[in-house]
Amino acid sequence: MTHLDAELKKLKIDMLEMFGLVLSQLNKSKNALVQFDKDLAREVLVNEKRVNGFELKIDRDCENIIALLNPLAVDLRFVLACMKINSNLERVGDIAEGICQFVLNIKLELEKELLEKTRLIEMFDTSSIILNDVMTAFELEDTRLARSVFKKDEILDEINMNANESVGEFIKTHLDRINQSLYTLSMIRKLERVGDQCKNISEEIIFYIEAKVLKHKPLSQKEDMSGEEN
Amino acid sequence: MHKIESKNVELYYGSFHALKGINMTIEKNTVTALIGPSGCGKSTFLRLFNRMNDLIDGVRIEGSCLIDGKDIYSKEVRIEELRKRVGMVFQKPNPFPKTIFENVAYGLRVNGISHATFIEERVERSLKQAALWDEVKDKLKKSAMELSGGQQQRLCIARALAIEPSVILMDEPASALDPISTAKIEELIYELKSQYTIMIVTHNMQQAGRVSDTTAFFYLGELVEYDSTKKIFTNPTEIRTQNYITGRFG
Amino acid sequence: MDINTRKRLAENTAFWVFRILSLGVIGILFSILGFILSKGIGVVNWDFITKMPEDGMTKGGIYPAIIGTLYLIAGSMLFAFPIGLMSGIYTNEYAKEGFIKRFIKLMTSNLAGIPSIVFGLFGMALFVNGMGFGDSIIAGSLTLGLLVLPIIIRTTEESLKAIDNSFRHASLALGATKLQTIRRVTLPMAMPNIITGLILSIGRVSGETAPILFTVAAYFLPKLPTSMYDQVMALPYHLYVISTSGTNIAESRSMAYGTAVVLILIVLILNLAANALRRYLGKKYKIN
Repeated sequence: MTHLDAELKKLKIDMLEMFGLVLSQLNKSKNALVQFDKDLAREVLVNEKRVNGFELKIDRDCENIIALLNPLAVDLRFVLACMKINSNLERVGDIAEGICQFVLNIKLELEKELLEKTRLIEMFDTSSIILNDVMTAFELEDTRLARSVFKKDEILDEINMNANESVGEFIKTHLDRINQSLYTLSMIRKLERVGDQCKNISEEIIFYIEAKVLKHKPLSQKEDMSGEEN
Repeated sequence: MHKIESKNVELYYGSFHALKGINMTIEKNTVTALIGPSGCGKSTFLRLFNRMNDLIDGVRIEGSCLIDGKDIYSKEVRIEELRKRVGMVFQKPNPFPKTIFENVAYGLRVNGISHATFIEERVERSLKQAALWDEVKDKLKKSAMELSGGQQQRLCIARALAIEPSVILMDEPASALDPISTAKIEELIYELKSQYTIMIVTHNMQQAGRVSDTTAFFYLGELVEYDSTKKIFTNPTEIRTQNYITGRFG
Repeated sequence: MDINTRKRLAENTAFWVFRILSLGVIGILFSILGFILSKGIGVVNWDFITKMPEDGMTKGGIYPAIIGTLYLIAGSMLFAFPIGLMSGIYTNEYAKEGFIKRFIKLMTSNLAGIPSIVFGLFGMALFVNGMGFGDSIIAGSLTLGLLVLPIIIRTTEESLKAIDNSFRHASLALGATKLQTIRRVTLPMAMPNIITGLILSIGRVSGETAPILFTVAAYFLPKLPTSMYDQVMALPYHLYVISTSGTNIAESRSMAYGTAVVLILIVLILNLAANALRRYLGKKYKIN
């Protein structure tokens, strides 16, 4: 294995660790909310510092690889993709942190009815699945799996679209729960962003493996496996 | 204890002040790149450590150079013993006009080793270390001159490795080679550092980045900056270093 | 006439002038050889090269002169080659740049410029009389040796100088001493060219008359030497004698040409042998 190969392999292992860390932050934030576990929420806040530290480390590693080892072609795209995925992941970490901050702020446990109506749990689960998918796609260099994310993200979009209405309805009947209803709405907005970050990650994965730029393309083109770049 | 150390080294060629008060320490099993524009003293500095500068008339050296804590310019040091411990690879591949086998065995023979099986084993091991064995194992009795430039240079590395030095000095070892051969030499350097301490002079900035752990930037006989290669290549302290590595002068 | 036509014309003219002159040189060589051969080949036969001279050198063979010349070649080389080689090695490999080295080089050149008759006189004074060798093979060999010493020194020096320093440095960097480097690397690499110098010296030694005139050569001695203190006949001197002061110059004219043919053949054979050796060494130590 060449020096560059060794460094790229290390970078990939670090990236997967970053993925795992962020995924666990997201799952923990869900559990903190569902179980209304404020200790768990605090743990997520503490771990966020680790995520930030990891982001800086990966950035530095990428910088060193580019400065010292002059990667080219697929290697260069890989390093560039890692830098971008890295900041996407850090954002997801921020979102998990934000949700846990809400958990600490909310005084009463969320109403079951509210959760069901807004499909918040489903949203958590879906975003977790999507993040898991992009991680697997990154690990296995599976662009088909990466492309599947664009479709799954539509579920998050749909839940997000309906959120205003469902939260509004809930408030009508539970005027004493306005505060937590608004927090719920904010969480939905945040989780919708997780889907967007994952889509960006997918685009970066496809960029480095297939050298195709999918940014700002309509969904139909993104999902087309055989399609020429245009 | 540092593997290699130079303390206030001053070197003059006649009246020309070629090295000005160089202080540097190099750790074991690292690759140190010496960079800088032509005539900056980096090759001269490299040649201090196997005393090749002694071959030039009118050289005067002050200060001290230490390897494993011992001053290599002290009176007790036998120059042949020193050169056995400090191997050197030159800019131009310079195998002797002998067979491939005899080229690698040369250092052993001149150092008084004549045991045939021992020499055979050592030749094979050195050629393997230099990643050349598979290419030459069937033609060890052929002239080394029949090899390609890149192979010749790896042969020269094998020749240096055969006498088991602990330090290897390389003076622009890949500057006369094509890109593929260069990549092979660089990989070799990367692998050899687990067993040897390597100093390499290079004009190729990217090469310094790829192979070295620490980098020393020389300019006009001075050591301008000496730091980890990562630091030098991403955030050098000295503005002169930055200008040089970004290609803005030199 | 445009510039290109003129350039081509000049080019062609120069090419033909150079070519004709070069061919002219070859022509001269061949005419000498042809002249000698046509006149002398008739008398050269087995008896001519294996019999003693008879009848005041007008009949018989030139056997002792051939043997004498071979002895002188061997003797002078035995003396001059090691000394020349070593002093060539010294000046190029050991002597530091400076006055001494320049002085040695200057003196070597001067030595080469001394006329051969002066060597003969010097040899007579030093070896024949001074050291008491008398007219003898040893005195003649030493004198001839002195004559070719500068050639051997010079070629050794030049052949060593032609070897890239990187080979010396490579050897020294492996812990070899200077002597080991010379013996194992530089000298073997220089040898093909040094052999060329040797060939030149052999040609010179076998053809010189003046240095042996007072030191070894016998006018007429129809027997082989038994020790290195004996006199011998030698081909060039024999040739000189029977062409100028023989008992019967006219009678021995064809003998003279025959002797010249033999002399040329000996030099030719030695040259070929040395050339083959040079080629063999050159192949062994080939440098791209």
